Amino acid sequence: MTSRTPVPEDPVTVLDDPTALDDHVASDDVPWTMSARELRADREVGSQLRPLRLAARRPTRSESAVAVAAVAAAAGAAALALAGGIAASPDGFAFMLALYVLVCVVAGLAWRRARPWSPYGLALVAYGLAASLYALGTTTQPLLHSLGVLLEIPGAFFVFWLVLSFPSARLDSAGRAVIALAGAVLLVGCVPAIFLLDTLSPTQPLARCGARCPANPLQLVDNESLARTFGHVDAVGHVIVYGLILTLLAVRFARASRPRRRLLGPVYLFAALLFVAMGVYQAGVNLFGASAGADSPGGFALTAATILFPFGFIAAIVFAYAYVGAALASMVREIGVSSSVTGVERVVRQVLDDPKAQLAFWVPRSRRYVDRHGRGVVLDEEETSTWRSVARDDGEPTLAIVHDAALDEDPELMDAVGAETMLALENRRLQQDLLDSIGALRASRKRLVAVAAAERRKIERDLHDSAQQMLIAIRIQLELARGEVGPSSKLERQLNRIAADLDRALDELRSVAHGIYPPLLAEEGLAAALTEAARRASVPVELELEDVGRLPEEIETAVYFCCLEALQNAAKHGGPDVAVTMRLWWEPHLLRFSVSDDGVGFVPGQTQEPTGLTNMLDRLGAIGGRISIRSAPGRGTDVDGAVTVSP
Amino acid sequence: MSKAEAGEAQPTRYRIVVAEDAYLVREGIRQVLAQEDEVEVAEFCSDLSSLLQAVDRHEPDVVVTDIRMPPSNTDEGIRAAATLRESRPEMGVVVISQYVSPHYAIKLFEDGSARRAYLLKEHVGHRNHLMGAIREVASGGSVVDPAVVEVLVESRTRAKNSPLAHLTPREREVLAGVAEGKSNAAIAKSLFLTKRAVEKNINSIFAKLDLADDTDVSRRVVASLLFLAETGTPFQGATSS
Repeated sequence: MTSRTPVPEDPVTVLDDPTALDDHVASDDVPWTMSARELRADREVGSQLRPLRLAARRPTRSESAVAVAAVAAAAGAAALALAGGIAASPDGFAFMLALYVLVCVVAGLAWRRARPWSPYGLALVAYGLAASLYALGTTTQPLLHSLGVLLEIPGAFFVFWLVLSFPSARLDSAGRAVIALAGAVLLVGCVPAIFLLDTLSPTQPLARCGARCPANPLQLVDNESLARTFGHVDAVGHVIVYGLILTLLAVRFARASRPRRRLLGPVYLFAALLFVAMGVYQAGVNLFGASAGADSPGGFALTAATILFPFGFIAAIVFAYAYVGAALASMVREIGVSSSVTGVERVVRQVLDDPKAQLAFWVPRSRRYVDRHGRGVVLDEEETSTWRSVARDDGEPTLAIVHDAALDEDPELMDAVGAETMLALENRRLQQDLLDSIGALRASRKRLVAVAAAERRKIERDLHDSAQQMLIAIRIQLELARGEVGPSSKLERQLNRIAADLDRALDELRSVAHGIYPPLLAEEGLAAALTEAARRASVPVELELEDVGRLPEEIETAVYFCCLEALQNAAKHGGPDVAVTMRLWWEPHLLRFSVSDDGVGFVPGQTQEPTGLTNMLDRLGAIGGRISIRSAPGRGTDVDGAVTVSP
Repeated sequence: MSKAEAGEAQPTRYRIVVAEDAYLVREGIRQVLAQEDEVEVAEFCSDLSSLLQAVDRHEPDVVVTDIRMPPSNTDEGIRAAATLRESRPEMGVVVISQYVSPHYAIKLFEDGSARRAYLLKEHVGHRNHLMGAIREVASGGSVVDPAVVEVLVESRTRAKNSPLAHLTPREREVLAGVAEGKSNAAIAKSLFLTKRAVEKNINSIFAKLDLADDTDVSRRVVASLLFLAETGTPFQGATSS
């Protein structure tokens, strides 16, 4: 019975199965290094990789100045509101206005820090500082009071612009139409009312002055009913304008791509709250005689929505950072398990939440970007997508991410994803290079071994066909000559000696030729050649050879010489009574062989290992096989080998 | 001192075809056979196809062929012997080889050992060797070069638990003689024994080795050769263990 030795697990040396590597390399994806086609990207827009500017950074001088100004403005406004004392709730309004000023300025600073190129930062700062002037509306000096109240008009328009132009800072036609309508409402409702009303009161519930308001210095005609009519027109107009704005925001949000929604969401949400509260409050107070008090539901809602409004911009930035963190985490996780360019691209799409995102690879030779199929990258006509290149430290571009234009507003995300993608692909390229060079090395080793084997066969043939035949011919001639000379002559004795020498020479030559390359191996295959090797061995050899049939020449040669080497090692180093067992058998897709002896053994690694071991490793390694050599003093030596044979 | 001289048979002239691709060796064989009155070489060939054509032309009694010849330079001689076994069972074939590997001798005898001989080329010059083989195969016998048998006996003796260990040195010599295709008389002569002593030895050997004795010399050759060539235990395939 044959004891089955397992496939080498804990070998002295294991040469990995090359098919595993091949599987790794041979993916159905186009390798990302394939980028040599001569195609040119149509346009070059987009921006360079910027250093990631996440939170912690010392404030700049201008930021400090703005902060100081904001605190001063907030304090001044609060003091003014308290001093005026005509507001419905002077201390409440003072607190609210100070808070509003500070939140607007902080939102502006945060926005400016995160997106220095965007006008919203400056706009919010300016708006916040200017909002402190609303405090004038609660003073008793009639002209200043009126100015404070009337400032609500540009303030409202500024808020419309902030919301409607977000995030491009440009108004589209619908936005312009809504603002034009608001202007018309101003002209037909608000402006006439200003000249008719006895008193002007701030809109904010906390700031309303009611009976405490100073007389309106701008009143031209004292006609209460006319004033009320225009007030109604103004309120209805406002409600229409708010309704239109809300509709427009809803439509825009519904149409927006997913990355854009992520950006629009917080700003639109807080703006919508503000406009709904504003519309409900104004309609309620002016048209339906609802309570205008800050403690009424409408008043409370408006106060809250007003304070919350600037938080939308802060939330947009906070969400962007939070999203970057989550995205990076998932990206690192996902990219770790994806092994192809397509995989990386899939992760990028997922992380950017942009199903159309695409990677473009820089081809230095032709100085253009190509996609993973090697085609030039063309941006779509509608400008809904743009691209961002990622450059190495030395300024050389490596790749670009073609993405939804909205993601331009998400620079933290784009920079992080860009850097992570470059890292992943660089790693993959290094890995690919390594695999390529391992592959090349293995191929060249295989070639060397094949050349050596061919050379051996040639030498063996030459020896057999020329030298050996000549010696044989001479041997025949010598025998003929021996027949011619008389027996027991001196010449006969000499001829006999020559004949004996010649026989030894022939034996020697035969043995050398066989050692160089056994013709049986080429003619009959492994089992026959190993049987013959066993017969020639100087030690007893037990054979358990399965008929493995014929195999590729390089495999037969490698396995044969490996077994021979092991056999010779056993004979040479195994001690006087060594016996060897040589096995050859099949396992699925695996040719297995073992040469075991019961000799004296050796300590692997300690004793000078015979050069035979190196030869065995070289031979097997060249055909991608594995070999393990186990030995211990007194325990004999086991050589175990396995070669993957594709069916 | 051949059989012919001993008057056992009328001097027959064996018609022979020789195939050998190496010119010098071919010339050597030509000279060896030119000395023999018993043979008449109909044709010298230098490859497998010309050999088979020459056989068709001359219908020789015996073919002397190199083992390794064009076209493939592998084992054309053995293939020719197999072909002739089919087409001309009565024709003798002497394969001359540079290979001492028993593998080839065993392969030559695979489909029967009668009228087949396996000789090492370097022994061809010895007139008794080649002529002896020609006579043996012509008369239905078999010959294996002693050098080949020696390899087998040596490796078999070396093996662990070798059955040959139970044989006396004399018995081993007799077994080698049997494997070489010698008749009892020839063994007796080469070992300076009486024919009876050889027979006793052979009975003892075949009993010890558990082989069926066969009075037919050529069948005896195969049995003893295969016995000697056995290496190790037959392999138990992965499915059966």
